[in-house]
Amino acid sequence: MILVLFGVSCIVFFISHIIPADPVSAILGGNAPEEAIEKMEEKLGYNDPLPTQFYNFITGAVVGDFGVSLRTNNPVMEDIKRYFPTTLELTFLAMIFAIITGLTLGILSAVFRNKMIDQISRIFSIIGVSMPVFWTGLLLLLFFYYKLGILPGAGRIGFFSSPPDHITGMYLVDSILTGNWSAFKETIVHLVLPAFCLGFLATASIARTTRSSMLDVMKQEYIMTAKSKGLKNSVVIIRHALRNALIPTVTIIGLTFGSLLGGAVLTETVFSLPGLGRYITQGLLSLDYNSVMGGTLYFAFVYSLVNLIVDILYAVLDPRMRV
Amino acid sequence: MSKIKTGFLFLMILTVVLGISVSAAAATPDDALVMAASTEIFISLDPAVCYEVLPSRVVDAVYDQLVGWKNVDESLVIEPELAEKWEISDDRKTYTFTLRDANFSNGDPVTAEDAVWSYKRYLKMEKPSVWLLNSIGISKDNMDENIKLIDKKSFSLTFDKPYAENIILGILTNNWGSIINKEVALEHEVDGDMGEGWLTENSAGAGQYVLDEWERNTKVLLSANEHYYGDEPKLKRVLFRDVPEASTQRLLLERGDVDVAWDLTPQLLKEMEGTENVDIVTVPAHSNEYLAMNASWGPLKDRKVRQAIKYAIDYDSIIEDINAGYAIKVQGFIPKGYFGYVDKNPFKRDLEKARELLVEAGYPDGFKVEILTNQRETRKAEATLVQSNLNDIGIEAEVTVMQASQMYAKYREQGHQLIVAGWGNDYADADNLAMAFTNYDAGQLAYRCAWKDEKAIKLAEEGRFEPDPEKRKEIYRELTDHWFENGPFAMFYQSVEFWGVRSELKDFYDSAFGYSMKFDFGGISK
Repeated sequence: MILVLFGVSCIVFFISHIIPADPVSAILGGNAPEEAIEKMEEKLGYNDPLPTQFYNFITGAVVGDFGVSLRTNNPVMEDIKRYFPTTLELTFLAMIFAIITGLTLGILSAVFRNKMIDQISRIFSIIGVSMPVFWTGLLLLLFFYYKLGILPGAGRIGFFSSPPDHITGMYLVDSILTGNWSAFKETIVHLVLPAFCLGFLATASIARTTRSSMLDVMKQEYIMTAKSKGLKNSVVIIRHALRNALIPTVTIIGLTFGSLLGGAVLTETVFSLPGLGRYITQGLLSLDYNSVMGGTLYFAFVYSLVNLIVDILYAVLDPRMRV
Repeated sequence: MSKIKTGFLFLMILTVVLGISVSAAAATPDDALVMAASTEIFISLDPAVCYEVLPSRVVDAVYDQLVGWKNVDESLVIEPELAEKWEISDDRKTYTFTLRDANFSNGDPVTAEDAVWSYKRYLKMEKPSVWLLNSIGISKDNMDENIKLIDKKSFSLTFDKPYAENIILGILTNNWGSIINKEVALEHEVDGDMGEGWLTENSAGAGQYVLDEWERNTKVLLSANEHYYGDEPKLKRVLFRDVPEASTQRLLLERGDVDVAWDLTPQLLKEMEGTENVDIVTVPAHSNEYLAMNASWGPLKDRKVRQAIKYAIDYDSIIEDINAGYAIKVQGFIPKGYFGYVDKNPFKRDLEKARELLVEAGYPDGFKVEILTNQRETRKAEATLVQSNLNDIGIEAEVTVMQASQMYAKYREQGHQLIVAGWGNDYADADNLAMAFTNYDAGQLAYRCAWKDEKAIKLAEEGRFEPDPEKRKEIYRELTDHWFENGPFAMFYQSVEFWGVRSELKDFYDSAFGYSMKFDFGGISK
């Protein structure tokens, strides 16, 4: 994991320093006088040799110090703390949605192979992978917000409502902890569309993997044995087949988490959520290296962490892996 | 049995979703102005730091300066804000300001000490925008001699030269000229930052509104300042809701969940034309787009070649086709609404005349030239159109698209041949543009184009120092004519600002006129 993170830091550092762009001009604008530009370059240390800049970056990153964002003037870590809870909350809900629908569709497809329900689930999955998140988001807004008016159009909470007291920064968790049920209700309502939109993306791969591995497992002899013992079909499927079919699915879930973090950028933009994905994109557009490097590295860290958890889950699912 | 169960479950989920969904009531509160805007650009609301367009207008709403811009018959003129009056010394270099009786939002009286402190604070902080105040002779090094406290209500500013009054006052309208409550700022000082950390997200001003809350990337909320000396704002609350995506802004506006959509694109505006209950409001902006020619490069050294290029360009197509009509035909360098504006547009596409001029200049077969521009879509389209326009008179042009920062670096070094770019202004006086577009010695655009024209330099300097406004106007008329004939610029248009606005809002156009230098939130009503 440490190696992965080091690799990622090298890549983000060098890519952001190789691109032929001048962050100082980007901050000060094209019409800024020469002296102002020179002064700024000196202040930011852009005149230091590249290895020195890299050394400063790595030694800072180890202790969670990514420097100060050129755009917001805040330490990048502070910005990450401010924006990450939104992204985490959104990704988490999307993940739950994707797992529930993905597994259900996968199991149903396998059990009713080549029947109507399998076909529908396949179409649903294909739409999920092929529709760009951005477009799905706008369509959802157009239908549920604009035409039907049953779900809100933007933000994490109503325009004039106050968020729950800050504890974790995740409104759902905070409103439960503080017992603020009206905020909880509002937050849930505001998250339905974005979570669906983002989760839709992951549903497809989860459903397809579950389906094929379920089909594999269903052919095994022990399933036949279970069936011939006269166990109820549902018990056979859930207790015997699913558990063994889950290992590839769990792997896919871990990997999908990465694409959800990526997809969060667009979802956050369409639904006006103040998340980390948007923060990094804004950083990119204004050539704010520190926030891009810090944010990307943080994402890489979370992603590695999730995959570590996935590895641990294998052991829970399959006792043979507990060595 | 299982089917019934599934159906039941589905019904339950549906009930829960519908039950807790908020019905999107399509109306904003009567006393509030609700706007959807991208607030990503909000970095700091400290008046000395804030330099971006929209945040500056928020700063302007919560702080007052000595003087401000007022829209009088669609032209921007100076009006007193916290300064009740000012006297100008005989040498026209020292301005003594007397402050009116006014209070900050916490009830403290506004004093000359606050004003002097605010100005000195700004100079000490040395933010990039300080060059403008430095350019008229007040800097960190000389501030103790040039900024003097006289008594509780008055103080003086001394500039290095006797600039025309409209220039001085125009520069002082900038939001860095805001008067800050010294006591409150110092109460929150950390490590000698003069309150910068605290003022980033809080306000201590004497403007029409107070900053209630700024939640980054979420919302900015202002409420009426109950101690304001002037008219009470018609709408007591102003809310900017962060909505980064233009299409989402449009949906919110059409459903009536917001009163104003701030960042619509020209394409969206076209689609929205005729939408019920939504108006599209446009006002002249403080920027213009142009083609600049390097007067030290090859054929472009010749005035006649530059004239030929100016006559080859299809200005109407640039405005109507590329900008969907959202631009104003202004071919002079002084924008509409500014002191000194010259209402003349001498150039239109005339290929015959352009070819004749090329022959006279000795280039009957044209020449090869490079047009530089950056990645902005409209600019690329403009550059491509100019390329084909030039092709029509035998000039073979090639378009090179660069990153903006790279392009400007090349431009600064006089490394371009032709360039399509834009210019934003700092104060609504002809001088601001005359310095950029005509005065080589100012080191701005005329310099970048290596256009050193003695007459233009002389007229631009005269315009700066002429005390009589009528004579000043005359000077700028003459300068504009000379520039049309000789200058290395083909001005395409003055940009416009535009919004989608709910029809129930009143006086939006008058309040918005002058944006991005002024925006009168308090003048809008429902």
